[in-house]
Amino acid sequence: MTLLSDTRYIFIRYLTKLVRTPILLFFSLFQPILFLVLFTQLLGKLSSFPGVLPTGVAYLEFAAAGIVMQNAFGSALQSGNSIVADIDSGYLQKMLVTPVSRPAILLGRLASDAFRVVVQTAIILGLGYALGVAENKPFYVTTGVVGILLIFFTLAFFGLAWSGISLALGMKTRSSETVFAIGGVITFPLLFLSPALFPLSFLPGWVQTVSMFNPVSYCVTATRALMINGYQWSTILPAWGVIGLVALITMSATLYQFRKVVS
Amino acid sequence: MTDIITVKNLVEVYSDGTKAVDDITFNVEEGEFFGFLGPNGAGKSTTIKILTTLLKKTSGTVSIGGFDVDKQAPEIRKIIGVQSQETSIDGDLTGRENITLQGHYHQMDSGDIKKRVNELIALVGLEAAADRRARNYSGGMKKRLDLATSLVHKPKMLFLDEPTTGLDPQSRSTIWSYLEKLNKEEEITIFLTTQYLEEADKLCKRLSIIDVGKIVASGSPVELKREIGADSIRISLENCQRDNNKAKELIRTLTGVNEIIDSEECITVYAKNAGLLIADIVRALDSTDIRIGSVIFSSPSLDDVFMKHTGKRIRSEELVKAPSAMWGGARR
Repeated sequence: MTLLSDTRYIFIRYLTKLVRTPILLFFSLFQPILFLVLFTQLLGKLSSFPGVLPTGVAYLEFAAAGIVMQNAFGSALQSGNSIVADIDSGYLQKMLVTPVSRPAILLGRLASDAFRVVVQTAIILGLGYALGVAENKPFYVTTGVVGILLIFFTLAFFGLAWSGISLALGMKTRSSETVFAIGGVITFPLLFLSPALFPLSFLPGWVQTVSMFNPVSYCVTATRALMINGYQWSTILPAWGVIGLVALITMSATLYQFRKVVS
Repeated sequence: MTDIITVKNLVEVYSDGTKAVDDITFNVEEGEFFGFLGPNGAGKSTTIKILTTLLKKTSGTVSIGGFDVDKQAPEIRKIIGVQSQETSIDGDLTGRENITLQGHYHQMDSGDIKKRVNELIALVGLEAAADRRARNYSGGMKKRLDLATSLVHKPKMLFLDEPTTGLDPQSRSTIWSYLEKLNKEEEITIFLTTQYLEEADKLCKRLSIIDVGKIVASGSPVELKREIGADSIRISLENCQRDNNKAKELIRTLTGVNEIIDSEECITVYAKNAGLLIADIVRALDSTDIRIGSVIFSSPSLDDVFMKHTGKRIRSEELVKAPSAMWGGARR
């Protein structure tokens, strides 16, 4: 199957590039880790106010879902830059004069994005656990190994849907600055207009209304359920549905732009 | 000899209305070293992009190795190697990894790739640097690696878009010797575009001169230059001011002289077989008290050919893109 083996080689290429540019990995992990440490320190006291957080839940446990979500955002938005770099350097063109499978060019990239989100999520969860131990409030994923795998799946899936935005933007504008700027502009509002870092009841009424239309809200809630409450399929399945819908839109845009680049 | 490239009435109009390629027709025979010589913006890169399946043509017919460029692009990609103007290698990967990956893009067998990669590394003389990251290569090394990557699948035909633009003279002549070797020993047909006169003159058995999207002349470099008709002899005199007119009168009486003009040196004489005339000129001037400073004989250059057909000189723009500028900024 040329599609599969081509995808594999392109996947390996991007991973090799990532591993050999540790500074990139550092920067994309830096922000979520900073948030993890900073927010849990600053807002750690929230749990001592009754009714703000669910009973018995420490802020660290609560915020972890938001932080891994933010991480998935950040990684996904770098995807577009990679395609811009490949267009600028002529590398993409060089691939296109070979018989390499066209879909594999996109699939290899997306697979490397997903892999990266999973690894970074694991790092953040590990760090969260260590932080919990340090504060004497250990934080476990209640659903265990299967739950962690489902969390990986949810975040990788979400990351892919978001990679679609940056890939489409990258191919359309051919400017990594634009991808970064637009990426930054949409990341933060979406994150803060959702229950990612603060409980909904804590937020003003209008934000609560907006968050109902924010896809990030559904994903955060589902991830949080898997971490704290257990298999709440009534929140997990709708979240996957929402991600699927977003992915459908962003991937269509990506495919449309990709066809223009390829032909 | 059979044609490996046939191009008929090729036209490319960009979406903004620019006619980048304006009705060109040419063919390249199997095993030939063929070139497009022309200034920047003449339509060379556009033509190569169409021939290598990267760009859809507006009209005309193009066939490569017997395959139609619109209908059989996948077949064409299997038999061609392409080196674009940009040095398109992955700086994060080593030289060996770059070539290997290109082999995988051609869906080659891993064992075959390994063997071929070693051959190619030796061919372009990168043995010592093969396992270093390509980012740290010099400009010439990057070009050589780029050339190696385009040869991994033993293409029947190689397309080179300005392969030596921006290189220092030494790296340039190294690339030239590889290309001649490939053409002669591996019998690869080569189609090259260039804005360098010496490059076209030295490498191409046959070439087309292209300007503003049109082919203005075609033939072997020798044929093209013969069209110009006359060689030139540039003569400088020790006392040009005093002897100029007298010298011109003397030379005019010699047989075979086409034209005499004043030039930078002092006098330039155009003649059909100027080589034979040099002795006559020296003898004629020597019999008087005119002292010759120097005599320079030159055959017509491709620049003269270009001049004749377009009224312009080709100015090779020695725009040297620093390697850092090519990779810097956006490389994530």
